[in-house]
Amino acid sequence: MQRSFERPQTLEQAIGLLEKHGDAARPLAGGTDLLVQMRAGLLRPAVLVDLKGIEELMSLELGADEVVIGAAHSTASLRENADLVALFPGLLEAAELIGSEQIQGRASLGGNLCNGSPAADTGPALAVVQAVCEIAGPNGRRTLPVAEFLTGPGATALGVGEILVSLRISRPPARAADAYLRFIPRTEMDIAVVGAGAWVRLEADGSCAEARLSLGAVGPTVLPVALDALVGGPIDDAALATAGEAASAAARPIDDKRGTIAYRRQVSGVLARRALRIAADRAAQRS
Amino acid sequence: MAEDRKYRWVGTRPIRHDGVDKVTGRANYGADFALPGMLWGKILRSPHAHARILRIDTSRAEAMEGVKAVATAADLPEQRPGGATDLSNNILARDKVLYHGHAVAAVAAITAEIAAQALDEIEIEYEALAPVLSLDAALADDAPILDTARRARGMDDTGPTNIAARVDFSRGEPDQAFASCDVVLERSYETQTVHQGYIEPHACVADTKADGLVEIWCSTQGTFTVRSLTADVLGLDKSRVKVTPSEIGGGFGGKTTVYLEPVAALLSRQSGRPVKMVMSRDEVFRATGPAAASRIELKVGATQQGQLVAATARLWMEAGAFPGSPVQAAAMTILAPYKLDHLFIEGFDVVVTKPKVAAYRAPGAPQAAFAMESLLDELAQQLKIDPIDLRLANAVAAGDQLPYGPRYKTIGMKETLEAARDHPHYSAPLGENQGRGIALGFWFNNGLNSSAEVYLTEDGTAVVVTGNPDIGGSRASMAILCAEELGIDVMKVRPIVADTETAGYTDVTGGSRVTFATGWAVVNACRVIIEDLRRRAAQIWECDLEQVAFDDGRCLPVEGSGLSHDPLSVAEIARKMGSTGGPINGQAQLSARGAGPGFATHLCDVEVDPETGHVDVIRYTAIQDAGRAIHPAYVEGQMQGGAVQGIGWALNEEYLFDDEGRMENASFLDYRMPVASDLPMIDTVIVEVPNPIHPYGVRGVGETPIVPPLAAVANAVKHASGVRMQSLPISPPRLLAALQEQAAE
Amino acid sequence: MTAVVIPNGLRAHCEGCARVEVEAVSVRGVLAALEARFPGFGAALGENVAVAIDGEVFQDPLYEAVAPESELHFLPALSGGR
Repeated sequence: MQRSFERPQTLEQAIGLLEKHGDAARPLAGGTDLLVQMRAGLLRPAVLVDLKGIEELMSLELGADEVVIGAAHSTASLRENADLVALFPGLLEAAELIGSEQIQGRASLGGNLCNGSPAADTGPALAVVQAVCEIAGPNGRRTLPVAEFLTGPGATALGVGEILVSLRISRPPARAADAYLRFIPRTEMDIAVVGAGAWVRLEADGSCAEARLSLGAVGPTVLPVALDALVGGPIDDAALATAGEAASAAARPIDDKRGTIAYRRQVSGVLARRALRIAADRAAQRS
Repeated sequence: MAEDRKYRWVGTRPIRHDGVDKVTGRANYGADFALPGMLWGKILRSPHAHARILRIDTSRAEAMEGVKAVATAADLPEQRPGGATDLSNNILARDKVLYHGHAVAAVAAITAEIAAQALDEIEIEYEALAPVLSLDAALADDAPILDTARRARGMDDTGPTNIAARVDFSRGEPDQAFASCDVVLERSYETQTVHQGYIEPHACVADTKADGLVEIWCSTQGTFTVRSLTADVLGLDKSRVKVTPSEIGGGFGGKTTVYLEPVAALLSRQSGRPVKMVMSRDEVFRATGPAAASRIELKVGATQQGQLVAATARLWMEAGAFPGSPVQAAAMTILAPYKLDHLFIEGFDVVVTKPKVAAYRAPGAPQAAFAMESLLDELAQQLKIDPIDLRLANAVAAGDQLPYGPRYKTIGMKETLEAARDHPHYSAPLGENQGRGIALGFWFNNGLNSSAEVYLTEDGTAVVVTGNPDIGGSRASMAILCAEELGIDVMKVRPIVADTETAGYTDVTGGSRVTFATGWAVVNACRVIIEDLRRRAAQIWECDLEQVAFDDGRCLPVEGSGLSHDPLSVAEIARKMGSTGGPINGQAQLSARGAGPGFATHLCDVEVDPETGHVDVIRYTAIQDAGRAIHPAYVEGQMQGGAVQGIGWALNEEYLFDDEGRMENASFLDYRMPVASDLPMIDTVIVEVPNPIHPYGVRGVGETPIVPPLAAVANAVKHASGVRMQSLPISPPRLLAALQEQAAE
Repeated sequence: MTAVVIPNGLRAHCEGCARVEVEAVSVRGVLAALEARFPGFGAALGENVAVAIDGEVFQDPLYEAVAPESELHFLPALSGGR
């Protein structure tokens, strides 16, 4: 089969190529999912459109109000940015879990998101910091919250010719911080049995002002867990237990080779508690 | 006899002679080899775990442009009774497919892509049969029978059965003896199918010449084994097959047989061109030989003081599609380390519709030790005896009889237990949710046949030629032994691994035998050279041979001989080779006897997450009798590698099959071997109880270290969490379920 | 006389004996003596027999020497995980 490789230098060229070739084309960021799927014979795209020549997808901007992360910017490079790590430790925890050291030289937040895996580590981590997806396509630009960008296993809201350009995240307010935990039987090189992103904002008196929790790998897409019950009270063992129960109840896992329904439900609650505690501790340190 | 003397090179840690090539990425592995005009071979594999092959139509594939050969079992010669029938049927199924992934046909084409497309064009009609995916399923009264013509060996005629063989060993009257015991424990243990997990997939290039000679380049543990098995399957004389080994990226027993080589040679014969075949990871999991799943029912009786009195063990092991599980070795090892006056051991080799098992590091022993060492841990706890003391009190020593007859000679079992007891690890404090396990391991070790040639160069450096693919640093060991014998610098010795037409016959790299047996052949070859050097010195000095001694790389006059010559170094004599009788070569071969058994004691600390069932190995110490460590770094490497593989076996590794017998986790992503960050540094203590028969006291070390970890981990989990896991793996969902069950009780 | 220890599985072929004494100088001689005394024993034993002589295991033992005071054990020969 003939296969062509394109490396456009502008978004317009890339959009044009994707629009022209439709289903026969695949955008290529780090390729850490795409190339594996091609080698396994699951995908046989005729045209590969390498997006790494487009500056906007490779950029990283720490602005006064928001952080803009190019969709194809490598996770290894994100990790090396101490300011970014300090701002969103949870998001970087998630990024650090994607693949091995070598893979991370290629892997990107945008690529991980666009792959649409229900078990992706970036989904819950980006959802709790309310990241917004900046999308460019034949009809111009639009934005979508991460939670709406992910629509199901392997599916995203991207239309034909559309490209995820960047992720925009507001700088955290005072006394707020994120955290991400995932459960795998090993310590790395594995796929989440359960993933939990947490975000906590505290009042000056240490009580909970806002709490967000999103679960991965226990539903068709990122699963938000409502934590209204925590607001106004202290984030103590009782509150965390409540949050854990809410997470277990919200989880809608399947049985598969990576874990059973009962196991994933149980671990959803455990990770929810632990991630919220880490986020709350971090938030407290930011007072 | 082992000689007690001060060594210059033995026991040192020079860099490995093949190291630079490997760390710079230039070493050539199985898939690196290529020949001009080479074709790519691919294998069509069964989509059924158990089916009758009704019809194969390869015509459409053969007609494709770029396809140069298509092969099926019909192209292989019929095997004579007692011949390589099972092997032949395993590499290309004849009448039945017996596991999902079983090879059915093969194609060679000008590109790998065309070969893959051609596989889709091969039509096969199957009559699907019920799969047999567990011991229970295989042994059920109404079980589908894999081979209705087969009868169980070692049993009265059973009629058609999935039991391929039965073995037993007995001593005394165990049933009566149990009645006299203060305590009798009876437990059942299970382990699942696991894979060796070598990083390098099977790969080969075969070139069958116009005159029928076959040349093979491949990654294997045994070039002579590949030669022999390929010749058997193809019906050729062994001298018609030449095998050249590549570097090998792991084998652990899994590369001691053939899958691709005869098929590639067949496709090459049909096409008249060299054929290259490389397995994918998926194929390695689905269609090469894993280690056997097992069930062991074990009963042990003891006195209140901790004296073992009697034991009975019944073992069932899955052989996979064809007979040949390591159940005999398991039966021979399970009670081997302990003094028991009364015992009965019975083992069953059971066929199931899974890939045919292959050797995996001490085949059968890890499963057996998991049972025995778990039970002893429970016994120690029940009797309130320290688990090391319990084992010491019952440990075998020289003169004690093994369950299968022979008596032990000098062994280091007690020494490893004592080293464990005295190690700071054993008394280190433990935290919350942490526990410590200990377990012992025994393995026979093997000798078998080896050859070695040593060629002295004209400047007194040396080339050592052997036929064992270097899987664990053996080239360095061969060089050290040569340097020690000849008294020359170890880096001036070049150890090479030669093909089957260059090296003399040498058995497989396996059985922990290479440093022991092939090393011994190297020593003997060097001693041939030393005799020759003395003869040449006598010629130069015009004296009698008896007046010349050899010491530390020099010929010198025997003390009291009255001669006053300056010593002649190896290099000085080598420079005079032309005038003293010609080239200086040593050659030796042997069938090495007296491979002393290996014993190891492992200490394992774990921390259990009571909320998730996750087990974290936080400290691990492997202690083993190496006889004498020729290159301690590679002995330690073997101990660490074996420990890690055993930890993986204990914690997360298992083949998962769906109801149709299709493996669900045929990738390293979902077949969960440990990764480096999962583990602490594996500490090692080498104990040296020299093997009295070997010139350097060597015992094999490669296999023993995988024997103790399964039970060491399980025992540690018990002491950390209160739950005794008698079925592996101790994966988080299984452990959490057990913890919840315990909490509910 | 060399002592030969018969494993359970073979005792049916030697009138139930657990231990037999034979006069021989090699394993081949032991086998011949056993066959002479218990016709069919060799066939029951099969090919590729392994033995232990005085504690030493021999995989390919036909021509190994045995002494009058030797004790020989037959080991059941199964292919081990090849």
